[in-house]
Amino acid sequence: MASNMRGLTQFIADIRGARVRELEEKRINKEMANIRKKFKDGNLDGYQKKKYVAKIIFTYILGYKVDVGHMEAVNLISSPKYSEKQIDLDGNNEVDNCLALHAIANVGGSEMAEALSEDVHRLLISPTSHSFVKKKAAIPDVIPAAEWALRIVSIMDDEDLGVVICVTSLVMALAQDHLAPFAVCYTKAVDRLNRLVIEHEYSATYAYYKVPSPWLQVKLLRLLQYYPPSEDPNIRSILHQVLQTIMNNSAEPSRNVQHNNAQHAILFEAIGLAIHLDTNSPLVGTAAVLLARFISSKETNVRYLGLDTMAHLAARADSLGPIKKQQDIIILSLRDKDISVRRRALDLLYSMCDVDNSELIVGELLRYLKVADYALREEMVLKIAILTEKYANSYKWYVDTILQLISAAGDHVGDEVWYRVVQIVTNTEDLQEYAAKVVFEHLKAPSTHESLVKVGGYILGEYGHLIANEPGYSPIEQFRVLHSKSQFCVAATRSLLLSTYIKWVNVFPEIKPQLLNIFERYRHVLDSELQQRACEFYALASRPDEDELLQNVCEEMPPFPPRVSALLGRLNQKHGDTGDKRTWVHGGKEANIDREVVKKKTLLTETNGAPASSDNQDILGSLAGLDISGSSSQPEPSGGSDLFLVNGAPRVAVGPNVDRWFDKLTWSAEGVLYEDVQIQIGVKSRYQGHIGQLAIYLGNKVPSALTSFTTSIHVSDPEALSVTFAKIPPSTIAPRTQTQQLVHVECKKFFSTPPVLSLSFLAGSHQTLSIRLPIVITKFFEHVKLGQTDFFERWKLIGGPPREAQNVFPVELTSAGQLDLVKNRQVVGGHRLNVLDEIDPNPNNIVAAGVLHMSVEGKVGCLLRLEPNREAKLCRVTVRSTSEDVASEVLKLVQKPLKIES
Amino acid sequence: MIHAVLIFNTSGVARLTKFYTPLHQSSQTLIPKIFSLICSRPASLCNFLDAPELEAFLGPKGEEDERWRVVYRSYATLYFVFVVDGAESELGILDLIQVFVESLDRAFENVCELDLVFQFDEVHHILTEIIQGGLVLETNVEEIDNSVQLSAKLRKESFASANPLSLGIGVGGAGSRGGNLKSPLGWLTGKITGGRAM
Repeated sequence: MASNMRGLTQFIADIRGARVRELEEKRINKEMANIRKKFKDGNLDGYQKKKYVAKIIFTYILGYKVDVGHMEAVNLISSPKYSEKQIDLDGNNEVDNCLALHAIANVGGSEMAEALSEDVHRLLISPTSHSFVKKKAAIPDVIPAAEWALRIVSIMDDEDLGVVICVTSLVMALAQDHLAPFAVCYTKAVDRLNRLVIEHEYSATYAYYKVPSPWLQVKLLRLLQYYPPSEDPNIRSILHQVLQTIMNNSAEPSRNVQHNNAQHAILFEAIGLAIHLDTNSPLVGTAAVLLARFISSKETNVRYLGLDTMAHLAARADSLGPIKKQQDIIILSLRDKDISVRRRALDLLYSMCDVDNSELIVGELLRYLKVADYALREEMVLKIAILTEKYANSYKWYVDTILQLISAAGDHVGDEVWYRVVQIVTNTEDLQEYAAKVVFEHLKAPSTHESLVKVGGYILGEYGHLIANEPGYSPIEQFRVLHSKSQFCVAATRSLLLSTYIKWVNVFPEIKPQLLNIFERYRHVLDSELQQRACEFYALASRPDEDELLQNVCEEMPPFPPRVSALLGRLNQKHGDTGDKRTWVHGGKEANIDREVVKKKTLLTETNGAPASSDNQDILGSLAGLDISGSSSQPEPSGGSDLFLVNGAPRVAVGPNVDRWFDKLTWSAEGVLYEDVQIQIGVKSRYQGHIGQLAIYLGNKVPSALTSFTTSIHVSDPEALSVTFAKIPPSTIAPRTQTQQLVHVECKKFFSTPPVLSLSFLAGSHQTLSIRLPIVITKFFEHVKLGQTDFFERWKLIGGPPREAQNVFPVELTSAGQLDLVKNRQVVGGHRLNVLDEIDPNPNNIVAAGVLHMSVEGKVGCLLRLEPNREAKLCRVTVRSTSEDVASEVLKLVQKPLKIES
Repeated sequence: MIHAVLIFNTSGVARLTKFYTPLHQSSQTLIPKIFSLICSRPASLCNFLDAPELEAFLGPKGEEDERWRVVYRSYATLYFVFVVDGAESELGILDLIQVFVESLDRAFENVCELDLVFQFDEVHHILTEIIQGGLVLETNVEEIDNSVQLSAKLRKESFASANPLSLGIGVGGAGSRGGNLKSPLGWLTGKITGGRAM
């Protein structure tokens, strides 16, 4: 507001001056009429708009109902702000920037946010912005996540912890929905944790009750749980150290409540992460001991979280042993005075249940169900039903439990529970007699739930005759018990009972008169369904005795086709939502494995450019029929480049120089890989068998530091080739200096696509660069010494195509017009093949042999013959190998540096 | 993500309400609902509460295990309540509440309920320095205090030059307490931070 609003001041003064309420109302009505007219006319400038809106707001504050113009006011509020704020965002004053960002965050609708997102982003990545502006620019809704992923993640290296906190919050929020583009954050997070926890590298003001920025630690630990555990041994070991340190730190409890609180917050997240990484690691063993102590802690918060985390452990662990030791305490927790704790105990019991302890746990739950909070019951019933079905040792126990469940909490029992009982009893012949007896006993109770009557009706109708000869279960007794319930039931249940009766007419002729009597009466009820059944059944029952129709109609039900339990179906349906924030769900290991698969699939689909569509539910639904292993073990060959496309970053850098550098390095051990005005990348390598070591030299050529330096390596087929950094790369390269990165390489199987090294850094602006690393299959060759006879014997043994690859191509002669024999030799030798002399009678020809070492696929021999021809300026290369792939790949690699492009 | 920050006193009167997700129903009914959940819980119980009841207000959560969680902490006559989802660490939120209260205490010097009543705008300003759009901006009390003071100073300047009602009274600055109004019962002036720590 640049100037005073005289009109507004006047208006307010008038209202203040009003001595009676009527006068005040009159003044307001007048003003409102005026404003309405002005709005209608339109053509108001910014100042007028603001003035009128202010007046309306003042009226509203006074408690008057603003009837008309409300919508207009809202529109007006946002529209002038929009233009103003846009100016502000470009302004130089940082505080203005902040205010503007606040306004966008608080007031702006999504439309406004979209329009402004460009500006916000510019601020966010602008190297000149001050920390506090950057912090506020991290607004979630505004940002098109995938495109900015790399740049946002690179800010995680910022020196100001405050900025890191914001960006981590942001990355977390975004990564939930866009796992793949943000994958780089994994290394960053581990690095930051390492710096905070182990190296204590943080500014003193960020210590919260002597704990280094607990909020950030918690966020980072949680972020890491969104991703599958890293394969990189180096990252794993650092993470292990971090977690170990955190757990050790917790060993010293302090008396300060806040300190303890922060310490525990981190500890619980760390345990969560440890479980996520590997449930069999010794860390988790330590964690289990800690958890056992926590769940009997005096502090309710700690008990609560202890149970929660233990449920996580139970849901993921292979062995429930350590948890089962605590079973008594956990069951005791079901009676904790705090409902929050009771809920967690229930979840934990659900997760830790297996075949061994199911009877005990379900029994405990059933007992507790009768006294449980109303809010808990429905969930408990579903869980009991699932556990009972999943871990039933005997069908008897199953039937007992479910019937108890129905009679204890019938209202909360969904229809699918009793459907399932019927299904199981029908399909299990041994069970039928027992089930009939039990259900009959339950029906004898004075009050029974309708679901129980339904089960009773069905089971007694089908199998009542099996027990009819035993004392106390005679047909007439069965009939009396069941029919006494009929009057309290709804029409649907009564129809079911009518069907029971018609079956009885067939098997119990002795009670036929009573049954006929009932049909007779129901023929006159108003409900059409009941009436129809009664009429049909009456006619059927009244037919002469020798008629076979009744028998045919009342034939015993055939077993149901085996199908997925409706219960689990319902549970799974709920898990279909992949956008969730939990990193695990309650329930056994299987449930979590399913989730992982779905998650992986999402990751894959996202990687391949197609957005994860909303039909994830279908994916899960059809999971049973899908061959998961097939789809996940065959990564798309183009996955790598697509990934970068998605990120909006360039594909692998191209250019004649880049290709030349790369090609040279395929057959030499060291040299320059890339160079531009800012950066130079050099490589030195050493290979032995299937193992290799690469030193990558990253040189900063500019007189300022390269910050937020991020390196990652993308291997198109991790099954065939593993390429990992020896340690986490530093995030800064000082001006005009060079750093060295060691990379470990292992060849497991044949591969043909070289890995891609991606770099991103801030040097004035955000830059990204992707280059192929000179790691090709010939690097894993070892020399083999062969005599002339040996060589030709093998040469013949391998034979022609397809195990032979051959090509004739033009070559360049030296300036003297001769064949470049030296180079030929260098290239063949550089590809690590052993050049064998005195085998070929022509001294210009080269014959070479080598053995390819792969840790999984083993060794593959390879023979090569190179025949240059000076007159024709041509060269013929023939490669024979026991593997077709190897032959053609070696041919390709060897001819590349020799061939001249025509 | 943090979905709501609420402060109300032990009688259920809201002193601050801030929502970071659109509500499905009026907040007028939500606050009593949350209050009724919390006020019945004695001090010895934990500071966390599953609140499936809130689905009607904040929308359903897809996952069975993914519930609205209420994390609260009581200070003297006030409840500080955060409504969060499963992505937040419960104890982390407790720490954050402590940070929030400490920041309030810095700004108002021995903050009490009265400060929140008379300077609700200031409370909002402090909150925006800590949380924005449901994400945490800053947890360093020192930093929060600095930026609060800076923006308060700038507001004061622009207010003096632009506000038509500016009658020369000191406004909005940290530390002043509604013209030193004396509360007749004294219940509003009980220090927040002096009370129960947990």
